[in-house]
Amino acid sequence: MTRDELKGNVLSILENDFEFEHPGLDDNLRDDHGFDSIDAIELLGKIEIMLGFSLSREEKEKAMGIRTVNDILDYIEKIQSSHHR
Amino acid sequence: MKRRVVITECSAITPIGYRKEEIVESLRLGRSGVKPLRDDGLLTNHLHSRVFGTVDYPIAYEFKRQYRKTMGPVAFYACQVAKDVLERSGLPQEFISSGRLGVAFGSTHGSPTVQRQIYKTFFNELESKFSSIGAVDYLRSMVHTTAVNITRMFGITGRVIASSTACTTSSQSIGFGYEMIKYGMQDAMICGGADEYDTTTVAVFDNLLACSVDYNDTPQCTPRPFDTRRDGLVVGEGGGAVLLEDYESAKRRGADILAEVIGFSCNNNGGDLILPNLDGITAALRLALDDAGITPKEVDVISAHATATKMGDVIEAQAIAAVYGDSPMVIGLKSYTGHTMGTCGVIELTLILYMMEQGFIAPTLNLDNVDPRCSMLRHVRELSSGNIGIASIQNFAFGGVNTCLIIRNGREAAA
Repeated sequence: MTRDELKGNVLSILENDFEFEHPGLDDNLRDDHGFDSIDAIELLGKIEIMLGFSLSREEKEKAMGIRTVNDILDYIEKIQSSHHR
Repeated sequence: MKRRVVITECSAITPIGYRKEEIVESLRLGRSGVKPLRDDGLLTNHLHSRVFGTVDYPIAYEFKRQYRKTMGPVAFYACQVAKDVLERSGLPQEFISSGRLGVAFGSTHGSPTVQRQIYKTFFNELESKFSSIGAVDYLRSMVHTTAVNITRMFGITGRVIASSTACTTSSQSIGFGYEMIKYGMQDAMICGGADEYDTTTVAVFDNLLACSVDYNDTPQCTPRPFDTRRDGLVVGEGGGAVLLEDYESAKRRGADILAEVIGFSCNNNGGDLILPNLDGITAALRLALDDAGITPKEVDVISAHATATKMGDVIEAQAIAAVYGDSPMVIGLKSYTGHTMGTCGVIELTLILYMMEQGFIAPTLNLDNVDPRCSMLRHVRELSSGNIGIASIQNFAFGGVNTCLIIRNGREAAA
């Protein structure tokens, strides 16, 4: 998936499943949208389904540093490239 | 330290209505909330009993997603009635989060709807490489989900009691809340219970031949507490909450006093987990009177547990007769709602509070011919007006747990 495709999919998940209103790419997920650690785990499940493969425990732990939508996109791009190697 | 404990707010979502006006109208008109059992796509077709005490009206929940995400259907009921009592009370947030307000709330077994989804996922996707069990599924389904969703939503930091004793769940919650305040450990408690639509509960009682099966085509004709043609209980759903407060604090802040909790008992039969036990129930009724410090003659109305099972009603009638003789009026309120399981104690208490406030006594529905084995009691068979000064609410549960709550009319408590 290209970054634009990823962006569309992730924003759609955040709006539909997490009820974000007008998410901006650099919004702070927690401060601006009330996103918490439980949401992060739920989001990882959605990302697995979107990518079509399971994430390892190490890969999931790396997601805990995510703060913005752009961070999510960077994270998924890294995961994609490591799985395509 | 022993303090007086009063009920200052109540709210209930029941098969006969949600708002006080709807519930009172149902009681006055003799309107039953028992309906045909909804199809669950799993067990319904295997059950003999096809009736259910149903909440079939829409409820406008306005919970934000951050709260909804940890709630199964049972917590929606619980948080809605807790929200009602807290909002109406006008208690300031400073007090709510002070550690002096606690929560005693429970359900029969958390959220069976969410548990069922978990198992569906498990059995359907054994071959899947994705983990489909949600991060919040445990929080939605766990046995104390009602109590802690309430604390989370309203920022409550006091004690948490999450009783889960089937049919005595909410009466225990109220009793334990009363004791928390009476002995000075908390100044106020939100107490109650909730149970959601669930056919596994129907299946359990159906298997034990304890469910009503003869009135599947005329649901409003069952359950029939104390009637000769009763054939078992009808499972139901709902939620209810009461706000208990230390009397002096409630009086100081000018709160309306609906009733005073003057007595509570809880005991166990010490043996069989299913069969009703005359000695255990009789002891529970006497212990509550002792706690209240009143004589049996002072009780005007008894809200009997009266599930309409063949033996349960007879044993309860014998216990009431042994303790009270035929002096108090006896009502079986499950004839309106069905047996709302963990919620029944708080719902029956709320119905009695409405009757106390409005000065009427609702009859037991479907009591056409009193079973001769239950006929020694003073059954209420017609709607009547009258003041209820003191009432007793009795509930008994699988596991041999018995409870009895005794309340005094708020007008008299405030005097």
